Amino acid sequence: MRKISWLLVLTVALSLLAIGPAWSSDTIKVGVVGPRTGGAAATGKAFEEGIQLATDYVNAKGGVLNKKLEIVFEDTAGAPDKAASGFERLATRDKVVMVLGESHSSAALAEIEVANRLGIPFMVVEAWADPITAKNYRYVFRAGPSNSGVVNDTIAKWVAAEQFKKVAIVAENTDWGLGIAELTEKAMDKAGVPYLTVTTERKSQDHYMELTKLKAFDPDAVLAFVYGTGLHYFVAQAGEVGLTPKAIILDGAGPPSLWPDFWPNVGEYGDLECFVSSMHEKVELTELATQFRKSYVEAFGKAPTDYKSRSMFDAILIAADAINRAGSVDAEKLVEALEKTDLTVTRGKVTFGTEKGGPEYHHWMPPMLVIQWQNKEQVVLFPAEGATGKLKR
Amino acid sequence: MFAIASMNGIVIGVIYALSALGVSLVVGIMNVVNFAHGEFYILAGYFSYLFATALGMNLLAAMTLAVAIVFVFGLLVEYTLIRPTYGDDLYSLILTFILSIVLQNAYLLIFGPYPNKPPGWVRGATDIFGLFMYGNQRLAALVAGTCVIVFVFAMIKLTWFGRIIRATSQDRGMAELNGVNTTRLNMLSFGLGCALAAAAGVILAPVFPVTPTAGVPVALTAFVVVVLGGMGSLRGCIVGGLTLGLVENLGAAYLSTGYKHVFGFIILILVLAIRPSGLFGHKEA
Repeated sequence: MRKISWLLVLTVALSLLAIGPAWSSDTIKVGVVGPRTGGAAATGKAFEEGIQLATDYVNAKGGVLNKKLEIVFEDTAGAPDKAASGFERLATRDKVVMVLGESHSSAALAEIEVANRLGIPFMVVEAWADPITAKNYRYVFRAGPSNSGVVNDTIAKWVAAEQFKKVAIVAENTDWGLGIAELTEKAMDKAGVPYLTVTTERKSQDHYMELTKLKAFDPDAVLAFVYGTGLHYFVAQAGEVGLTPKAIILDGAGPPSLWPDFWPNVGEYGDLECFVSSMHEKVELTELATQFRKSYVEAFGKAPTDYKSRSMFDAILIAADAINRAGSVDAEKLVEALEKTDLTVTRGKVTFGTEKGGPEYHHWMPPMLVIQWQNKEQVVLFPAEGATGKLKR
Repeated sequence: MFAIASMNGIVIGVIYALSALGVSLVVGIMNVVNFAHGEFYILAGYFSYLFATALGMNLLAAMTLAVAIVFVFGLLVEYTLIRPTYGDDLYSLILTFILSIVLQNAYLLIFGPYPNKPPGWVRGATDIFGLFMYGNQRLAALVAGTCVIVFVFAMIKLTWFGRIIRATSQDRGMAELNGVNTTRLNMLSFGLGCALAAAAGVILAPVFPVTPTAGVPVALTAFVVVVLGGMGSLRGCIVGGLTLGLVENLGAAYLSTGYKHVFGFIILILVLAIRPSGLFGHKEA
């Protein structure tokens, strides 16, 4: 009798194991990497929101290859070691067909090595360092801003348009911060604008020494490449030491200036702060952007603020489109399909560069805006064709 | 530059000393390294934020209640987690490390990833002798931090409870022979250590908003201060905190702002190389 019981248990267990892959075969898995913990966990939250809306959208339209799209989210905490091992887990344990995401350049630079080694298509969403695509890896794409794109297409042109005489550059000591600061220095050299560069530690809470150096330089604008909570500290302390409002701060990353706790943390010192963003509370570039906003409000009961939720939404749509066009989950066919992408998402029409030699390879650069907080209202300053107001000092 | 670097060094130094006092007290009496120290700091910051904003409580009442709750929570942690590990320092170290990870994730789940800041006590900045502008909230934190430090020293030096603490940290066996209930003292000391972390948290949260993982650098700096000053030495905490604050700020002013925290570690290595027991530590017999 006891033997029979054990046999029954064994049979049930084996049946369940056999059914497992059948369940999973009803879905096609795509991996997402990003920080759900650590100093930039807010980005993970934005990614989660984008994932929810995009999977609902894709699956409502028939899914991918007549199967449901399933997203597996791996936390990287913004740390390169965790990022590399997380990516490897997605590829080997979860058997994802493609990986999307990331918002820390240092983490993305570790992940692209794994993607290239394992031959898994990887679409970087919000990690800006140029080398990510400048390495020209076959399996690595980027559907989001790059340092050179943001500096040359937006920041340098905005500095010229506003006719700033002297600028200060503040960079956190990360791949993103140091990389974008170096590109900004080159752009300022080219434009003949004098500048002072100061580096700061990524996890630093106290910026008084950096701000004192900047104040002595007396710049018209401060180009701040500091991400996360650090940006809040920086803006608040810049007001305390009297650097602002004489100098205008530009948050060179964007989302921290839109986080729900920006105003409680920076108080009145947040007024007149500028930030780079691919999303404005009222300006929408495509019909899908309007649809995204509507779905977002319905799902979360609030208006979207962190534009990284929309970046992730777009990335999933691009991936789903590529899988459907490839007609297969084979990595080589997916790369070929991605290279031929011609899809309109919330931020415009996506096409990836195919010419090797620079960071433009496998890269689509979305349009970016410079926005200023004026009495807690977002006013678009740049580009001129999208401007809703003028810089206030 | 020297004036503001020195001023900021002193303010940050007092903040460091305040954050480290609780660690030093617990190490001195119980020989327990509390890895979750930073998370108690953050918990008080969150409570003061919640009480002052969501419940609309008076700021002082919100801060006092936050410290009191963390004190009670500290007593519970000692009773349930630390007490069964007495006799094996490694177990308590591992347990508090696990507790810190659990608390970080709980904060993320409950409060979300965004920074939270309780209302400031004062607004604006003050012109210091026409040399530089300095945030009023920082000046208020300096005064409040100094008051807490003076209170702790007065309690240790002048009260009967302080005498028991000093006696136990000097010779636990002799204190027991003289009737000190060291088990209860351990509980109270651990609670007091947590309350000191909480006091630092409520004082500093209006300056540096709290996030789920913001306690990690707080605890790390506190450990550096404690080792620099000498394990278990409260006086060493003050000197260690001020030394670290001044070195970091003068280093940032004259060398590089990109390696501010490296200067502190260099000083730590130098001090330990010359005096392994720290500035005010005693060599073990």
